[in-house]
Amino acid sequence: MAEPLILLTVGLPWLGALLCWAAGDRHPRLQHTLAVSFSVAAGIAALLLIPFGYERPLVTLPIGGAFGDFTFSPDGLGVFLAAVATVIGSLAVIFSVDYMRGEAQLGRYYAFVLFFIGAMVGLVLTTNLLLMFVFWEITALTSYALISFHNDDPKAVAGGIKALIITQFGGLGLLIGALVLFAHTGSYDILAVIANPGLLPAGALAWMAFGCLAAAAAKSAQFPFQTWLPDAMEAPTPISALIHAATMVNAGVYLLARFFPAFEGVPGWREAVMAVGMLSALLAAVMAIVATDLKRVLAYSTVSQLGYMVYAVGAGGVFAAQFHLLSHSVFKALLFLGAGAVIHSVGTRDMRQMGGLGKKMPFVRLVFVIGALALAGLPVLNGFWSKELILEAGLEHGNPLWMLIVMLVVSGLTAFYTFRMVWLVFYGQQRAELHAHEAGTAMKVALAPLAFGTLTTWLLAGSFSRLLSESLPAHPISAHSTGEILLEVLTAPVTLIAVLVIGLGLAAWWQRDRLTGFAPALAGIGKAAANSFGFEAVNRAVVVVMEDSAEKLRSTQTGMLSWNVASLLVALIVVLAILALGVGLP
Amino acid sequence: MTISIPTTVIIMVLGLIGIGIYALLTTRHLLKVIVALQLLVKGAMLALVLAGRLTGQEDLGQSLAITVIIADTIVAVIGMALAVQVRRVIGTLDLRSLTSLRR
Repeated sequence: MAEPLILLTVGLPWLGALLCWAAGDRHPRLQHTLAVSFSVAAGIAALLLIPFGYERPLVTLPIGGAFGDFTFSPDGLGVFLAAVATVIGSLAVIFSVDYMRGEAQLGRYYAFVLFFIGAMVGLVLTTNLLLMFVFWEITALTSYALISFHNDDPKAVAGGIKALIITQFGGLGLLIGALVLFAHTGSYDILAVIANPGLLPAGALAWMAFGCLAAAAAKSAQFPFQTWLPDAMEAPTPISALIHAATMVNAGVYLLARFFPAFEGVPGWREAVMAVGMLSALLAAVMAIVATDLKRVLAYSTVSQLGYMVYAVGAGGVFAAQFHLLSHSVFKALLFLGAGAVIHSVGTRDMRQMGGLGKKMPFVRLVFVIGALALAGLPVLNGFWSKELILEAGLEHGNPLWMLIVMLVVSGLTAFYTFRMVWLVFYGQQRAELHAHEAGTAMKVALAPLAFGTLTTWLLAGSFSRLLSESLPAHPISAHSTGEILLEVLTAPVTLIAVLVIGLGLAAWWQRDRLTGFAPALAGIGKAAANSFGFEAVNRAVVVVMEDSAEKLRSTQTGMLSWNVASLLVALIVVLAILALGVGLP
Repeated sequence: MTISIPTTVIIMVLGLIGIGIYALLTTRHLLKVIVALQLLVKGAMLALVLAGRLTGQEDLGQSLAITVIIADTIVAVIGMALAVQVRRVIGTLDLRSLTSLRR
């Protein structure tokens, strides 16, 4: 029973992608209908798959020979992320019905969105590291194609290429990891190395561990690769919500969490992961305070919250990281889609021109404020519980205390920039003549479940921890009931401190007029933050070097067939020579 | 002196592939490129049949050869259709003037 469900969850979006594309751009209604129905069907299939997470059946697709069979196994981590990808994916598609109405080339749009959803499901369900790498790159490719969807806009094209190059750069780390695994075990089986990291010599395991860390940092827009995500905000907003907030950027956190039992013992790995997470969380939070573009603020906050998750994995809190991933996916998708409704309505992303929009868009304001409160980490909403669990994990396992203190400060910064954002958009005086209207029906249909989820997903803590602990025997996760987890959070001293810090962040925003005395002192930091602390230059250098070398390699493309045949011949001779010299295959 | 059948076939394979590659390297005419490709692929096909024979998997070698024939026919047909279009649009079949895809 699980086998067809797995194939359906991957296959339905891909089939839908083909059909949407084949339907042709002359039938936009048909395309909307096809996209919505296939993504919703995939979401249902993924939800039905969740109960199989406990049994972990192994589905094998024999492909014969060299690369090992393609295997899929739905365990707790996999089914949960597959459900997130397809359910939020279908909501983003529903939202797109309103948001993308009247746009040209819907076939291309929906085909890539659905292709992405299928690839994301495959990425989290497969247990073959090579296949995971393939899915990993498909998600990068679709992300690029969708960021650059408006391909007549040079900014969108540049943002897409930057995202593609940087995530590919990190993807090399995953490829190195996969090849190291294959070289030492003769297979790409992930489960084997997780169950027994001793399969690999310590040096090889370290290569794999740090390769995966590089891949995860690039994918999840973590330090020092954090600058591609804000530039990716040129994408249509449902794409930002789906790919750059709720799913693809989580792939890095997923990778770290998946391999945690194997890499845990690698010297320096956990510290490196925690440092990457902490730096990302801190730097991105500071950048979010000075940003004026609504979507860029959300992008920085995504980097910052992903930093929390990466930090949690490094700190040994795999459950806390995954629980925050769930919360974050829901409330950040809500915030992005809410921002999409605002942007669609007023036609600008500059928050300095907004203000007072709440009166004209009461529904959007309501759901946006719910999402913002969760992002700030205020009690009762899902972001509160998961963030507190992360901070608690930072206390355990002898983790450095100063890192925890930095993370606490970041939670205060988060509250500050979140309230700044909400205030600039929905409250205060209207600063420019903007024509605003309430969101459309399809938008509301997509926003309402997300708002409901933001209010309630923390109630799933108990069953979620049981799912993860039972299906991931190698991970340090113990099952607790929801009540136990909530009580644990409420009685932890860290929680009290965190709530105080968050309150301090809020107070700083309310009293911002009195704090103007500090402004000159902070201006330098603000300026550095606006320039991404110089890491923008590093990232841009990587992109420029790649583009330049590609341009230089162009001269090898003579376009002359004879040259191509000659090089084929040379390659053939080299292969024959190697075989003749007797370099045997293992 | 007797020459065994496999040796004969190997000589034929090498001859076909050699002629094919030589023609591909030297010709500048698009139709001749298609002919040269045919020669090259026929050589490879013969090698498949021979390999099947020598390893005792005749059925495998021959079924692969039939697959190659099908693929090769399609390549030839599409290649010639493209050649017709190239002649109509660009007005020549000289390979040196067909580098416009480069930029």
